Amino acid sequence: MLDLGRALYRHRELIGILVAKQLKLRYRGTVLGFLWTLLNPLLLMLVYTLVFAVYFRIDLPAYPAFLFSGLLPWLWFSSSLQQGATSILDGTSLVTRSQFPAEVLPVVCVVANAANFLLTLPMLFAFLLALGVPLGPPLVALPLLIALEGALALGVALIVAAVNVHFRDLQHIIVHLLTVLQFLTPVFYPATLIPEGLRPWALLNPLAVLMTAFHDVLYWNRFPSWPPLLALFALACVVLSLATAMFGRYKQTFAEAL
Amino acid sequence: MDAVVLERVSKRFRKVVLRSGYTTLKTALTHLWSTNLPPAEYLDALTDVSLVIPPGATVGLVGRNGSGKSTLIRIIAGIYSPDGGRAVTQGRVSTLIELGAGFHPEFTGRENVYINGIILGLTKKEIHRRFDEIVAFAEIEPFIDAPVRTYSSGMYMRLGFSVAVHVDPDILLVDEVLAVGDETFVGRCLDKMNDFKKQGKTIVLASHDLALVERWCDRALLLERGRVAAHGLPADVIAAYRRSTAGAGASG
Repeated sequence: MLDLGRALYRHRELIGILVAKQLKLRYRGTVLGFLWTLLNPLLLMLVYTLVFAVYFRIDLPAYPAFLFSGLLPWLWFSSSLQQGATSILDGTSLVTRSQFPAEVLPVVCVVANAANFLLTLPMLFAFLLALGVPLGPPLVALPLLIALEGALALGVALIVAAVNVHFRDLQHIIVHLLTVLQFLTPVFYPATLIPEGLRPWALLNPLAVLMTAFHDVLYWNRFPSWPPLLALFALACVVLSLATAMFGRYKQTFAEAL
Repeated sequence: MDAVVLERVSKRFRKVVLRSGYTTLKTALTHLWSTNLPPAEYLDALTDVSLVIPPGATVGLVGRNGSGKSTLIRIIAGIYSPDGGRAVTQGRVSTLIELGAGFHPEFTGRENVYINGIILGLTKKEIHRRFDEIVAFAEIEPFIDAPVRTYSSGMYMRLGFSVAVHVDPDILLVDEVLAVGDETFVGRCLDKMNDFKKQGKTIVLASHDLALVERWCDRALLLERGRVAAHGLPADVIAAYRRSTAGAGASG
């Protein structure tokens, strides 16, 4: 894990350039530009609100606010993984012809999506306030949650990126897996709706813990429950160490497999 | 301290990888269940290659297509790791492999110069300082903000070469890139490489241009099917190469 930290620090300029590039690429040539970052969640929010608040009648005040406070962190995670999986393949021309540090590529995906997420935060706050959701002291826990999600996303993105070089089915599998996971994770419904007998199982999902914590802080205006987050922190450390070890081991094979 | 030391370097590629490119779930599963796995086939790209290059030497790599020149360059560059033996380099290595060493086709020339420069060990500031010089040498000013996928192969090569020589490397690895430049530019590249020679920098040049190797390199290495077939003065090595190709031509 320390190796990863050192590598990231050493390549910070490269990461900076590539992140700026990816953010620019996304909006270059589009009329609405940055608004696209918001349009996709907005559209999802409309549909989910219709389905879950109107059809299924999930009884939560200001349901769109609840939904948004989970959906945005979720989209950060899922886009990081989707783009992370193909990141090394997409960077083939860099990896095979120079001493390009391959670990930078998945990192850039996670960081660029993190930047997108952070840029939408002010709008999320405005949206919450407009719907009458109070924002209070629990917000101090938000940076912690963001760091936790970043670490987790980084670890998993590194692993899927490395595996996908040799096992390219993963980039397709991951899309479906993320869809399944989105429904199994309390993103658009509160964990309290899960029948009590199943709830402990559902909360074994690390993302359920994370999303519930985001809901707590942003929507319920309360501090998240710490023990599961501590467990999540431990998990993030394990995943990151694993990812570093895996990358160190397989990195040398990338140039040949591409 | 020698600039490049290769000790009995071997490199093999799995043929399965070469054929299908990647493993799919289906092939992985069939392999899982099949009782008689086909033995993995390997292609020996390099076998027991030993080479010591003192600082300031200019070495030409010659050999037919598929003899292992590019693999050797990539091993020295650290892009591939050897399966056997050891490869050690001393100093900053700048690599020019195929067209545009490490350019991303979707990025502009300017972005690629920065990315490349940083990969080769410069800081953003240092690149900023040399940027105009790099662009001027490549003669590419009007196109520097266009994505490099729109570049002609000559433009690609000029920009790649320009970055590679302006990062102030200790070791310059050049793989068969001068072939696409026009005469004027190749002339200027050679001038630049001559400067490098005078400054005591180490150059390894893989080329099919035997006349260039003979005229310009201090030493040459002939690779045949991944083994060192001859090593020494360029004239002797090239004579050996000509003999072997003539032999192959007569028999096959």
